[in-house]
Amino acid sequence: MPLSSLLYVKPSHWGRHAARYLRSWWHMLHLGAVALVMAMSPSTWRRDIRLATSRYIHASTWQVLPWFTLLAALVSLVVIRIVLVTAQSYGLSRYALEMVVRVLVLELIPLSAALFAALRAGMAFDAGAMGLARSGVPVELATEQTLLRLRRDLVPQVLANAFSVLSLAMASSIVVLLLAYLNVYGLSPWGLGDYTRTVGRVFDPVVTLGFVFKTVLFGLAVAVIPSAAMLETLRYGQRFRSNVQPGALRLLFVLLLIEASSLAVKYI
Amino acid sequence: MAEPLPDEPKHVETKALILLVAIGALIVAFFLYVMYARGVFQETQTLTLVADDSEGVIPGMDMSFAGFPIGRVRQVDLGQDGKVNILVDVARDDARWLRTTSVFTLERSVVGETRLRAYSGILTDPPLPDKAQRPVLRGDAAAEIPRLLATARTLLENLETMTRADSPIGNTLANVETLSGRLNGRYGVLGTALGGDAEAAQLLQTLRRVDTLLAKTDQRVFGKQGVMDDAQGAIQELHGLLADARTTLQKVDGVLVEAQAVGANARVATQDLGRLRGEVDASLRKVNRLVDEINRKWPFKHDTEIRLP
Repeated sequence: MPLSSLLYVKPSHWGRHAARYLRSWWHMLHLGAVALVMAMSPSTWRRDIRLATSRYIHASTWQVLPWFTLLAALVSLVVIRIVLVTAQSYGLSRYALEMVVRVLVLELIPLSAALFAALRAGMAFDAGAMGLARSGVPVELATEQTLLRLRRDLVPQVLANAFSVLSLAMASSIVVLLLAYLNVYGLSPWGLGDYTRTVGRVFDPVVTLGFVFKTVLFGLAVAVIPSAAMLETLRYGQRFRSNVQPGALRLLFVLLLIEASSLAVKYI
Repeated sequence: MAEPLPDEPKHVETKALILLVAIGALIVAFFLYVMYARGVFQETQTLTLVADDSEGVIPGMDMSFAGFPIGRVRQVDLGQDGKVNILVDVARDDARWLRTTSVFTLERSVVGETRLRAYSGILTDPPLPDKAQRPVLRGDAAAEIPRLLATARTLLENLETMTRADSPIGNTLANVETLSGRLNGRYGVLGTALGGDAEAAQLLQTLRRVDTLLAKTDQRVFGKQGVMDDAQGAIQELHGLLADARTTLQKVDGVLVEAQAVGANARVATQDLGRLRGEVDASLRKVNRLVDEINRKWPFKHDTEIRLP
């Protein structure tokens, strides 16, 4: 339940709504923790789970990686050209490469990868569960098979989504790094030393750790929040008041929060 | 779900494994590249630069030599003496550009980052040792601007004075132009040195006359029946005259020998004359005495007594 809905309820019910709101967040964190622990316990790694994980990775990464990378490369190419041409016109071309790496590789690519994976995960989410929730049927009446499938596929789905964000971000980042080099130095290999030095200057230990940490957090958020929202919906049998996919707003909020925190840590 | 679904794509597990391995390899490669870019695998030596102010110096910034980055700032800290210690990692391969006499500067420009540079004037000096400590000279472009503007204004004023139409430099340049015009003129350097073409023409005329004169002189002196021929004849005659003179002188020499003999004879005669004179004197004294004797005696006796009245 969104916090803004508190404005439309009676003040006497505020406490109850706030408690439900906090419980919802707690439920999400708890689910994330459980999923992580299950992912790390050897007993989880049965043949069927492995297969399910493979199936989800195939769906969330293998199928979208080429297209996402191509799209990211095209958009990045435009941004790189704009930055380079603008920097050259101001005589600041030596800062262009650093800016491209900082803006694209460190900020835009991971964020777009997370949004893309979230969109994809939301779309791929079990339509059966969705339909069940929307119909407002109490959870007891849900088919046994649907609930079983939801519970069993939780860990593979979380892992696959997290991996999807990580791989989309990494692959696109490396393609963008290559594109930036080609745009600045052309096909000549003689800019490699200078380029390596610039990359080394940008990726100092704090920035590198922040980049990795941010990408992993993006992955976890994308993996956990929609699943948690969906399970919560099923658990409490809530009826949807809007057509927005459950957890979408919360996911957007968390992603922006992670991005803003990362920027604040790096630049403030 | 162990059993594959009917719409499941083929080799899902293999594809997922390939993806996992590929992305894992990509991540490892990226980290190795970043570590390489950060100089983790590079052997370095440490250099401590001591500055008064660390403004603009950040860990990770480059230290360049001749525009090439050779070192990287690892740490900036404040020492016990209140000075800023900038620890720079210099790659061992590039450390050869740093010598004991190298100078390090920290320059802040108006736009852009602060730059740390090294200058090595004498590359034959001993190399900079590891863990060396050097002062760093600070050049602050922003602080220099007011002074620079004042200097530039004075400079521009001077320049304006110098480039005015009636300025000494303008006059000098005008003179130089006249001079170069004259140098390019008909009489060239000669006209310039003498002060005008008329004078140069006069000088040339004089020179031509001198030339003619010299030609005539040559003809008269060294030509046929010239002065030189006459002079040669005269010299030959002079030779004859000199031979005659030598003969004459020999004769004169003989005469002188004879005259010497005459002189010796005359000396002997003179000695005889002295004796004769002595004898004559003795004779005269005798005569005198005789006369006195006669006077004392008769009739020529004089009364010699003086009588007083």
